[in-house]
Amino acid sequence: MPSWIHKPSWVHKPTRKIVLLVTGAIALVLFGALGAAVVLLSGAYSTAATTQHFKITHRLLDAGLRYSVRASASDIQAPILDEPHKYEQGAACYRLHCAQCHGAPGIAPDEEGRGMLPIASNLAQSAREWPAEWLYYVTKKGVRMSGMPAWEFRMSEESLWSTVAFLTRLPSLTRAEYAQLSQYSAQLECESAEGAEMQASEDRTKIVFRQYACHSCHRIEGVVGPKSYVGPALVEWSHRKYLAGTLPNNEENLVRFILDPQAVRPHSLMPKLEVAPAHARQMARYLLELE
Amino acid sequence: MSEQHVQSVLHSAPGSGAELLEELGMVLYVGAALIFVVVMGLLLHAVFSRRLRASARAWVIGGGIVFPAVTLFVLLTYSLAVGSAVSALNSGTALQLLLNCFGIDSNARIPPPLPGTLRINVVGKQWWWEVRYRAADGELRNVPLANELRIPVDEPVELMVSSGDVIHSFWVPSLAGKVDMIPGRTNRLVVRTSEPGIYRGQCAEYCGGQHALMALYVVAEPRERFYDWLRNQAQPARAPTDPFLRSGYDAFMQGRCPECHTVRGTPAEGTSGPDLTHIGGRHSLAAGVLKNHIGTMAGWIAGSQDVKPGNLMPDSEIHTGSQLRALAAWLESLE
Amino acid sequence: MSVTARIAIGWLYLVLCGCMAPEGYEPHVPEGDPRQGREVLAELECGVCHVIPGVPGARGRVGPALADYKRNVYIAGRYPNDPDILTRFVRDAPSMSPDTAMPAIEMSEAQARDIAAYLYSL
Repeated sequence: MPSWIHKPSWVHKPTRKIVLLVTGAIALVLFGALGAAVVLLSGAYSTAATTQHFKITHRLLDAGLRYSVRASASDIQAPILDEPHKYEQGAACYRLHCAQCHGAPGIAPDEEGRGMLPIASNLAQSAREWPAEWLYYVTKKGVRMSGMPAWEFRMSEESLWSTVAFLTRLPSLTRAEYAQLSQYSAQLECESAEGAEMQASEDRTKIVFRQYACHSCHRIEGVVGPKSYVGPALVEWSHRKYLAGTLPNNEENLVRFILDPQAVRPHSLMPKLEVAPAHARQMARYLLELE
Repeated sequence: MSEQHVQSVLHSAPGSGAELLEELGMVLYVGAALIFVVVMGLLLHAVFSRRLRASARAWVIGGGIVFPAVTLFVLLTYSLAVGSAVSALNSGTALQLLLNCFGIDSNARIPPPLPGTLRINVVGKQWWWEVRYRAADGELRNVPLANELRIPVDEPVELMVSSGDVIHSFWVPSLAGKVDMIPGRTNRLVVRTSEPGIYRGQCAEYCGGQHALMALYVVAEPRERFYDWLRNQAQPARAPTDPFLRSGYDAFMQGRCPECHTVRGTPAEGTSGPDLTHIGGRHSLAAGVLKNHIGTMAGWIAGSQDVKPGNLMPDSEIHTGSQLRALAAWLESLE
Repeated sequence: MSVTARIAIGWLYLVLCGCMAPEGYEPHVPEGDPRQGREVLAELECGVCHVIPGVPGARGRVGPALADYKRNVYIAGRYPNDPDILTRFVRDAPSMSPDTAMPAIEMSEAQARDIAAYLYSL
């Protein structure tokens, strides 16, 4: 600094200290980011399901789940659950959709359910510790990055509550009682979601796409997912003249194709996804609005 | 005529009006360049020469009066000669052309046909060309076509150009100068060439969004082939026998196509779009925009608004994939 | 390999490229010339129906966009995306997929190979 510039009076030691601290903090953040990049690019972080979490990671994730569920489920009001037809119905749903990963009294999870990380919780314990509203919320919405799917799109509202009704009884069931209940409910079906969504918002439609696993094959504008090249990219879709290379691209044809691809093109690799008609229409409208 | 020079004033067709214009242009360019060089030479001489021997008076008279007078006289005579050659091609006297310009000649609005000359009406529309042959021959009296002209070589052909909507301009640079196509008025242009070939023309007056995509091809053919072609063009389309083509025909008739297009010999009699009776034999689709084959045909039918946004033809929207292919195949079979 | 060694390699990565994991399967068309393929695509005006990067004016939306074609898993939602199959499909789609909107366009076998090579080069 040239000598003819007088230092203003406020440039003194404490200011220099602050500057030093801030610079240090920025340097630390940059150094941390660099370290993270190194760990990422070196492949040192294992993604194998056989490598266990650190204990603290596990506890933190667990706590995070509890707090999140408690906050989200605070508005839910459970109906009366203590009715035999409800938990019998719930037993059917549990046997069909839950026992594969969660097991049941005296019954181990299936092979798919055993090798998961995190492991699916034992619901007898969960049901002792968690209120019905929490169970309902987790069943309905699923848990991300855990393998727990959202059942909202696969079970009717009534079935969801029946399942919760069953869960609340689960801690009190012996092996024999479960076997009996399971046998008793063998004739019952678990009612699937009706899919009637009258006020379909754009965000809701994005959830619908994901819940039918559309994004595992298609890149869809507005839906975050893998960079998939299995099916065509669903971008700028309103300009496309043909769908599936053969039908004029309009709402009716899109709905038709989504509901039953093979009825339109017998050899198409796109599977039939048991999409509810209301959801198919929601998807079609969303796609046709993509400029 | 090589492929690259299909549309160029510098590569005019032999025996055409454009050839005379090109020659005139060349003489003017070269002459102007020569004068420029001489003047610059004199200028340099004046600046650098130690002693000026010539008298100022001689220079003023020589360079200022005699030289321009002689040059301009020669050029005027020459350009008048060229003009009268071009107007001879147009079979009108220079005076008549002048009168036409000001609309004084009573015959200017619709000039009478030249005796024994093939006459073609060309109507510019946004953004295509409606073409109608009016041969003297009774059989070939009124053959409607679109977006392509064929002319016999070594024979003057009279083009009567007008417009169906806004002002366009008919310009095939290798054959002739521009002639505006003005609503409510018919202009005459006589073209001829002695060389068979394909010449490209382009609308030369801004006429709306797709002005740049309003082109056409002029095909010059030997006389015999030309009249064979014209006789064929006068024929209606034949009904398809092949089942695939038949399904294309059905797709055409069930769609909205007949509302605007005519295919002579079928119930399709729309008039707001080009006549498609022999579309398969044309060199281009969409008024000189696309090559003509089954792929471009299908693409144009399904996506015309992407190719030429704002044109009057909507995307087909109703044909399934195989219908579209059949439709394109049927149209391509109409030669 | 120890974690330390991996971290060391990570540093190297950062210095050398700092980018992504290596690419996988690269389809290759024997005797196909991508540059020729581009010319053929332009000549046949395939761009009326397809968006094709690198081909002027190719911005049609009748058929699918052909960017990143080598990564597509399937052709026409029906066949594996393999050089031989693509070469056949480019030339004669209807024989392989009767309900397709894409017509059989006249071209030589060599031209079809060149087109496939170009599409895989995108």
